[in-house]
Amino acid sequence: MRSGSSPARSTAGSAGSGLILSVASPTLHLLLALLEATSVFMVLFYLLGRFPAFDPRSGVWTPTTWLLLWAFLSTVSILGSYLGIRLPGGVIGNSRAVASILAGLLGGPWLGLAVGGTAGLHRLTLGGFTALSGAIATTSEGLIAGLVSRRFRRDSGGSWLPDWRVAALVTAAGETMHMGIVILVSRPVADSVAAVEVIGPPMIVANSIAAAIWTLLMRDRLQLLDQVAATSSTRALRVAERTLGILGRGFGSETAPEVARIILEETGAGAVAITDRTTVLAFEGIGGDHHRAGGPIVSPLSRRAIERRELVFADGVHEHFVCPLSPACRLDAVLVAPLVVDGSIVGTVQLYEPRDRRFRSVNRSLGEGLAGLLSSQLLAARYEEAKGLLTRQELKLVQAQVNPHFLFNALNTVAAVLRADPERARALLLHLAAFFRKNLKRPAELATLREELEHVGAYLEIERARFADRLRIETEVDPALLDLRLPAFTLQPLVENAFKHGLAQLLRPGTARIRARRSGPDALIEIEDDAGAYVEPVGGEGLGMRLVDKRIKNLLGAEFGVAVSCVPGELTRVTVRVPLPGGRA
Amino acid sequence: MIRALVVDDEVHAREELAALLAETGAVEVVGACANAVEAIPALRRLRPDVLFLDVQMPAVSGFELLGMLDAAELPRVVFVTAHDAFALRAFEENAVDYLLKPVEPARLRRTIDRLRQGPGGPLPAALAAPPLRRVPCLGARAIRLVDVAEIESVRSSEAGVHVITAAGEHFTELTLRVLEERAGLLRVHKQHLVNVERVMEIELGGEEGATVRTRSGRAVPVSRRFLPGLKQRLGI
Repeated sequence: MRSGSSPARSTAGSAGSGLILSVASPTLHLLLALLEATSVFMVLFYLLGRFPAFDPRSGVWTPTTWLLLWAFLSTVSILGSYLGIRLPGGVIGNSRAVASILAGLLGGPWLGLAVGGTAGLHRLTLGGFTALSGAIATTSEGLIAGLVSRRFRRDSGGSWLPDWRVAALVTAAGETMHMGIVILVSRPVADSVAAVEVIGPPMIVANSIAAAIWTLLMRDRLQLLDQVAATSSTRALRVAERTLGILGRGFGSETAPEVARIILEETGAGAVAITDRTTVLAFEGIGGDHHRAGGPIVSPLSRRAIERRELVFADGVHEHFVCPLSPACRLDAVLVAPLVVDGSIVGTVQLYEPRDRRFRSVNRSLGEGLAGLLSSQLLAARYEEAKGLLTRQELKLVQAQVNPHFLFNALNTVAAVLRADPERARALLLHLAAFFRKNLKRPAELATLREELEHVGAYLEIERARFADRLRIETEVDPALLDLRLPAFTLQPLVENAFKHGLAQLLRPGTARIRARRSGPDALIEIEDDAGAYVEPVGGEGLGMRLVDKRIKNLLGAEFGVAVSCVPGELTRVTVRVPLPGGRA
Repeated sequence: MIRALVVDDEVHAREELAALLAETGAVEVVGACANAVEAIPALRRLRPDVLFLDVQMPAVSGFELLGMLDAAELPRVVFVTAHDAFALRAFEENAVDYLLKPVEPARLRRTIDRLRQGPGGPLPAALAAPPLRRVPCLGARAIRLVDVAEIESVRSSEAGVHVITAAGEHFTELTLRVLEERAGLLRVHKQHLVNVERVMEIELGGEEGATVRTRSGRAVPVSRRFLPGLKQRLGI
C-alpha cells in the first residue's frame, strides 16, 4: 500500500483493518465523499458549458471539438477515481462512471467508449484487485450510455437531449452492472462481495444523483441560450416588421431617422446612427446634441467599415470610439455594420454605447444581423422600384406608340386638307408616318439631339396643321449641340405635354418655343408654351415628365434632369439639363 | 333642310364636317364656332336644329357647354370626337348620337336619317347637366372663366347678364336660370341671384322687402317673394 502517494484518499482509521468493517460508517463516509466529488464536477461542467464550440444541441462538432470533449470528459472521469475513497485491498469507491456515461449520452457510443476506455485504462494503473473489473465496467458504461443515447436520438429524429431521469436510470443500472462485474471478475469472490457491500449502495445512489444534476445543469444552460437567441431574433423580427414599409420608400435623409429610432427602441442601445457612404443620415440617442444628421462621416472607424466593407467593432475595452466632434462625448463603444446592396456599399448602421455601459453581446449579434436585414430590405425596395419603372416605362412607350386621340385627329386633318391641297395632305401623311415609325423603334439608350428634334419635328408639323392659325412654333437650336447625347424619347413627351395641357387649352393663339443652348459645362434644352397652365401633378399624373427625369438621372447622373417653372397665364418652361460631352470632369 | 351649327376647335375638322354635311344634300351649315364660348351666343342667334359638337376643346369642353345652356334653347346634339374612351362609353350607355373622326359618309347618313325622323327626346341627365364650376365671361379683349366660388351676385338688365365678383362686373352669355339651376346661386329677385357663401348681412324692411350686403360691400335687393327662401338658406 502506497499510502503516502495514494491516488485516493484513505478512510480514516481503516488502513490495515482489513475488509471487515462496520458497513454503516464507511458507506456513509463514501456517500459523502462521492457527493463532494459531484460538487467539483458541477464546477467543471459549468466550465464546459462556457466552451463556445460545444453546443450540445447540434451533436455535429468539429474534430477539434470531439477531441477536446474526449480530453475533458476523460480527465473528469479520471478525476472521479481520485476523488473517490480508497478502501483496503485497492478497492476504490469512485465516481468515474459519471463522466463516462455523460460522454455516451452526449456524444454517442464512440465518445462513451473512448472516455470510458481512457478512464478504465487509467484505473488499471491504480492497481488493486478490483482494477480490472472497474476498468471493464467504466468502459461498458460509457458504451451502453452511448447506445441508449443513439436509440433515443434515432427515435426523436436526431435532436435529443439527455433527460435527467434517463441519466439517473442509466447510471443506476450501469453502477449496478459495475458491482456485478466486480463480483464476477474480481477474486477472491468473498472479498469482492464484501467490497460491493461497502461501495455498491453509495456509488449507485451518489453517481445517479450526480449524472441527473449534470443533465439538469446542461438543460438550464441550453434554455438560457435559447432565451437569448429568442429575444434577439424576436427583436430582429420586430425591427424587420417595423422598417419594411419605411425602407420601401427609399434610403435617404427622410427615411433613415425613422429606422434609427426603431432600432434604438428595439435594442436599447445608447445611440444609433445610419449613414450613407459620405453623410450621416440619422443619429438618435446619446450624443445627439453634437452628432447631427447631415454632417459628413468623420469617425475613422466608420471610414474603415466603408472602405473595407467590413464590420468594425470597438468594444470600449480593447479599442475605444473616440468622438471626433466633441471631447465631452460620452460614447465609447461602437459597432459599425456596412449596408451592402448588390455588392456595393450604400451606407452603415452604427450602434453606440456610452462609457459607463457595457456593449451587450446580444446587441452585437443583433447589430450584425440588422445590417444584413436592412440590406436585403433595401435590395427588395430597389428591385421593386426597378420593376415599377420598367413597367411604367413600357406602358408609356406603348401609349406613345398609339396615342389614339392624336392619331385620329391627325387623320381627320389629312382628310380635310386632301380636299383643297392634295400635295400638303401627302406631306402631312409622310410626317405622320415618320413620327409613328420613330415611336415604334425600341429606344436605344441614348439618342442625339438631332434625332430627338427630328422626332419632335414630325409631331410639330402635324400639330401645326391641326391648330393652323392658332399656333406659332419657334425653334432656336445651337447647331453645335446637334450631336449632344440624351436619353431617347426625352423631348417628345415634354413637347406633347406642352400641347395637351398648355396650348390646346388656350382660347387665344399660342406660341411654342424649343431652344437648345449651352450653360457652363451643361446643355439646356427648353420647351416653352405661353399658356402658363402648368399645375403640380397629383397622384398618377405627370408620369411622362417624371419618367423622362428619372431616365436622365439614371443614365447621366443625379445632377441632371428636368425642371419646371411656371408663370400662371403667361408661361410654362420645362428645362432639360444634360452634360455637354467632356463638359464636366 | 336641317339647319346645323358645327363646333370644333380645329379649322380643318370644321371644314371637313361642313363639306361632308353639304354632300348629304339634307343639311345646311348655318354657322361654325372654334370653341364652346363662341357657341353660346351663336346658338341663341342662329337657332339651329342640330349641334355637331366636338368633346375636347380648349377651356370649356363639349360636355361643359351643355351644362351652360338652358334646356329650352338646346337643339339636338350630335357629338363628334376623335377618341375618348370615357365619352364613348357615356354615349353608348345613353344612346346619344355620336360620330367618330374621321367621319365616314355612310355613318353620317344614318345620323341624318335619325335626325329627320323628328325631334329627339331630352338629353339624358347624366350627360346634360354637369354642375357648373366656371362661368365664361367676355372681357374687353379676352374670355375669362370666372370660378363660381368667386361670384358674389348676378344681375340681369336690358344689356344682358352680369356676373359680379369682388373685383368687378363681367358680362356673360349664360342665362339667370342656368346660373340658378346649375351653379347653385340663389334667386333673391326677379333680376338678381346671390351666392349665399358670400352674403355678409341682410337689412330687413323697406318697400322691396330687404337688402343683402355681400362681403365686398355691394347691395343686392331682395324681393318679398324670395325672402323666405333666402332666410331658409341662411338658417334664420
